[in-house]
Amino acid sequence: MSLLEINNVSKIYGELHALDKVSLKVEKGEWVAIMGPSGSGKSTLMNIIGCMDRPSEGEVLMDGIDIAKMNQKELTLIRRDKIGLVFQQFHLVNYLTAVENVMLSQYYHSIPDEKEALEALDRVGLAGRARHLPSQLSGGEQQRVCVARALINYPEIILADEPTGNLDEANEKIIMDLFHNLHNEGTTLIVVTHDPEVAQTAQRTLFLRDGKLVRETVNENFTGEIKYEDWTENK
Amino acid sequence: MQKKRKWFFRMAFASLLRRKSRMLIALLAIVVGATILSGLVTVYIDVPRQMGAEFRNYGANVIFTSKDGTALTIEEINDGLSNVNSSQIVGMTPYRYETVRINQTPVTAAGTDMSSVLKTSPYWSVDGEIPDKDGEILIGATVAQNYNLQVEKSISVTFTPEEVAEEAVAFDNGDEAAEGETSTSDVVLDNYIDFKITGILNTGGAEENYIYMSLEDLEELTQIPTTISLAEVSISASGSDLTAVVGSINQNSENVSAKVVKRVTASETTVLGKLQALILLVTIIVLALTMITVATTMTASVTERRREIGLKKALGALDGEIIKEFMGEQVLLGGFGGLIGTILGFLFAQLISVNVFSSSIVFRPVLLPLTIVISMAVTAVACLIPIRNATEIEPALVLKGE
Repeated sequence: MSLLEINNVSKIYGELHALDKVSLKVEKGEWVAIMGPSGSGKSTLMNIIGCMDRPSEGEVLMDGIDIAKMNQKELTLIRRDKIGLVFQQFHLVNYLTAVENVMLSQYYHSIPDEKEALEALDRVGLAGRARHLPSQLSGGEQQRVCVARALINYPEIILADEPTGNLDEANEKIIMDLFHNLHNEGTTLIVVTHDPEVAQTAQRTLFLRDGKLVRETVNENFTGEIKYEDWTENK
Repeated sequence: MQKKRKWFFRMAFASLLRRKSRMLIALLAIVVGATILSGLVTVYIDVPRQMGAEFRNYGANVIFTSKDGTALTIEEINDGLSNVNSSQIVGMTPYRYETVRINQTPVTAAGTDMSSVLKTSPYWSVDGEIPDKDGEILIGATVAQNYNLQVEKSISVTFTPEEVAEEAVAFDNGDEAAEGETSTSDVVLDNYIDFKITGILNTGGAEENYIYMSLEDLEELTQIPTTISLAEVSISASGSDLTAVVGSINQNSENVSAKVVKRVTASETTVLGKLQALILLVTIIVLALTMITVATTMTASVTERRREIGLKKALGALDGEIIKEFMGEQVLLGGFGGLIGTILGFLFAQLISVNVFSSSIVFRPVLLPLTIVISMAVTAVACLIPIRNATEIEPALVLKGE
């Protein structure tokens, strides 16, 4: 059984089909990238996978459970148990320190534990900046706090939306190295990006256009040798 | 659970202390409201006492006479006063009235305790001084005019004892025996004392027709032991409180019949009622305005934190948790604002009291929890709708790369 299985999912706003009969599977421990131009449906797909939106049609199976028909409260409970979110804009609470931002995620999930939160910050190389407020951290440091917050509850999937979109090259490398480490530890990663270099680091890249999944590339051995597998709109 | 509770407060305090400028604006709104509320409530509660003291300038509000129509004694008066809280007694002045003569013309003399007379009749206007020792006398303005009397001059006041008066009547009727008796050596004459006039009394009322001396001088003049015709009592109470005090005196005293001076108490009650109603109205309006101000501030604050709310929901916060968090934070702020407001409100009330009533007020400890609880409740109610609306925020909003 796949960790995530999406079958014929559509999201329709009036005349607009933000997603049109999209089907995909993500296996446990896999690293998948989703690419596509603006308006291709990336965000809509992210929201549905992240349990922040429901599809108009189709089924979304997470660990075999269909979450497509769940209400907001049930989706929230699934989200806090199974999903770790990394945002392009970091979205840290500005009046909480780095360690408190990590603990915030623990608070909603179970019980805040400062020691464990400090260990998570240590994993992303920010043990020395734990008591700093977001305004005292660089963009790269803020993103690392965001990663620590995403992984603190040991989620089944880490869902990252343009995680390097606001970072310079050095910080982009740090974040991608962190993702590599997480992947090596068995964490499932789904990364939405418009950056081909970031996408190429994933095992598989899915291409969206006009709400449809149009192509999939598989990077079989993570060596940079990317093998294209054509998808047609009729497939 | 303890860890979660600890974290809840840590987060709330972090929000309040690290968002200083935002927090101060909200706190200011609450403090201003709590200050005015606490100040006005203090004034509202204190007005009867303050105005009571003011009204006491218009004279005594209770009169003591005897139940059986005879005279009173000082002991009986004190027995009556024992039914009144001593802090409420502004003053008591006993009066004994006798008819005396000046230049053979009858005049009413009042024997009284000169040291307490201004406590029950503070409106008395005296040209000169109030007598403070034996042999001194205060003359009513009308009497002074009739006999052309002036301050510092002396005056001879006479009293005709009963037996002399009876003989005079008999003499007038041509009673031979009486006439014979007067010719004997044990003839009884009028008593007299030469007084020094220390002051002329102006009140615009009946008091100007009397002369005032000490009870001891009147006793010496009449050679009759002191009894009290009536006592004027000034009690710092009004309306139903005063009625209750008077009822208690009448019920518990042996020979004191207490009556309220309706002329004073009725107008006092009316004015007091209107003043309190006015303050209450202002308090309610201020409370409503405070609520609107706090609600507006809260709405702005919550709107500003929409992204934070969306983020928390994205991290897995349920609507109830968001409400609890924001409400807890704002209620804490409300409590703190209430605490500051109580202190400032007392100073505000003190300022009003000193400037308007020329007297200070006493801090009422009950106002502290009352103001804090009201501030918390107003803050909670005011931010209920904005927070409720905030829970409608879609967490997906924060995922958008804005």
